Amino acid sequence: MRVRAALWVALGAGLVALCFGAGRAEAYPQFQFSSGTQRCAQCHYAPAGFGLLTSWGRDEGADTISRGGNGALLHGAWTPPDWLALGGDFRVAGIDNDAGSSGPPELAVFPMQADLAGRIGFGNTGLSLYVEGGLRGTTRPGNDSHAAQFESLMSREHYVMWKPSATGAYVRAGRFYAPYGLRMVEHIYYVRSVTGFNLYEETYNVSGGYLDEDWELHVTAFTPPPNSLPLALRSTAKGSGGAIYGERRFASMASLALQARVAKSTDQTLYQGGVVGKLWLDSAKILFMGEFDLQRRATNGGNGATQFVSYFGPTFFPVKGVMWSFALERYQEDLRVSGTAHSAVDVQINYFPWAHCEVVLLGRYQMNGTGLADGPADSLAMLQLHYYL
Amino acid sequence: MALFFCGVLVGCGSTNDPRPDKWSFISPIIIQPSCATANCHSQLAERSGVMLDTVADGYQQLTQRHFVMPGDPDNSALMALLRGEGSRRMPPDFPLPEADITLIGSWIADGANWDGPGSEPGPLPTPDGGTP
Repeated sequence: MRVRAALWVALGAGLVALCFGAGRAEAYPQFQFSSGTQRCAQCHYAPAGFGLLTSWGRDEGADTISRGGNGALLHGAWTPPDWLALGGDFRVAGIDNDAGSSGPPELAVFPMQADLAGRIGFGNTGLSLYVEGGLRGTTRPGNDSHAAQFESLMSREHYVMWKPSATGAYVRAGRFYAPYGLRMVEHIYYVRSVTGFNLYEETYNVSGGYLDEDWELHVTAFTPPPNSLPLALRSTAKGSGGAIYGERRFASMASLALQARVAKSTDQTLYQGGVVGKLWLDSAKILFMGEFDLQRRATNGGNGATQFVSYFGPTFFPVKGVMWSFALERYQEDLRVSGTAHSAVDVQINYFPWAHCEVVLLGRYQMNGTGLADGPADSLAMLQLHYYL
Repeated sequence: MALFFCGVLVGCGSTNDPRPDKWSFISPIIIQPSCATANCHSQLAERSGVMLDTVADGYQQLTQRHFVMPGDPDNSALMALLRGEGSRRMPPDFPLPEADITLIGSWIADGANWDGPGSEPGPLPTPDGGTP
């Protein structure tokens, strides 16, 4: 109990230290429509979101999303030339996880992320080079101590892109997540963790698409990095294949997307299809967001399982700088067997006290099957501090 | 709408379990998505020296390192780990449903046989990288 109290006190102290003198945060699918922005690519250089922010995105982070400050790099102390964009993400987290073991709950404080990112644009050609990499943090080090650590260098993303204008066609080649699904920041949500978009599950891709004001389309061919590459370039991705994601937006307040993906590995072929939707109610400051996927894992042994994966819930923006999300999640591993369902209820509070600075509180309760008879429940509390360079 | 209510609120399927208790099914459907993740038993992390990325790797590691005692689920360390008996429950943030643990127990009780593609994986390399 004393260890747990000390852990939370330490995190609280870290929070205070981090937030004084900091300034801006990173993007979420919740910010589409709610921040007055329609397309992910308005705030991010990547055409479907993720990664480095554009100058527009940095301004939004200060003026719309957080409670104030200067969203520019280094809080505006130095402005890089137009052809260069720089940034970085630094996260530390503490968890209290009770998975129903016979022993005490798991307590851990760990470095989550320490990445730097850079983008070089080549004149008016529309060509750019993007590289992001850093230290891979780990929740549970090999010696099972509480002192989690950075474990190795990793490059999450590196690609070249031709994107001559804010809207229109683009082509991108390199390592990144293929555009698909809700693209949540936290990888624990089922729509990321069991659909091929878990932590460090990036693939090498050739991707292209078209961005318009009211719609966008992304088509991607992908393959996992070979195990012969250095550790910093490997991933946990399984299978080569293709993905398509098409989104239509309505009246700057709603979107509906259809998606499909196929990935073939040595052990199985994964067929996926789904729907993603958002609805923003401006008067109530509520965004409803959902993703529903059906997927078939066909094993090479001639068997397989049809699965269901979903996320649904509202996000409230009660005051500037605060975001409350509630979600119901479901992952049913095999639709033939009711006891294989994983269900989760999530409460997430994001606080953006200043530009560049974010505090995340996440509570999650997972249940198996139809109740405790189908396996133990799992409860997770997480406090995360995030600084965006 | 039916999909929403079936999938999100009440769940689907029956209480009977028609799934095959074969490793070629258990590994890609249950073990790989739950256990072979970036911080755990993937080739990126190999936590506790265990790598479960493929049907072959998982079988080799679990049987040859005696996490599985063929024919004896009660004395197989894997079952105790999955149920959190005397240790941290595995996977620590994604506990498996009892139906999955029972299916794995049934595979072990049947002899933990290899039914993956090709021949049964050979012996694990020795610590110095050679073969035994």
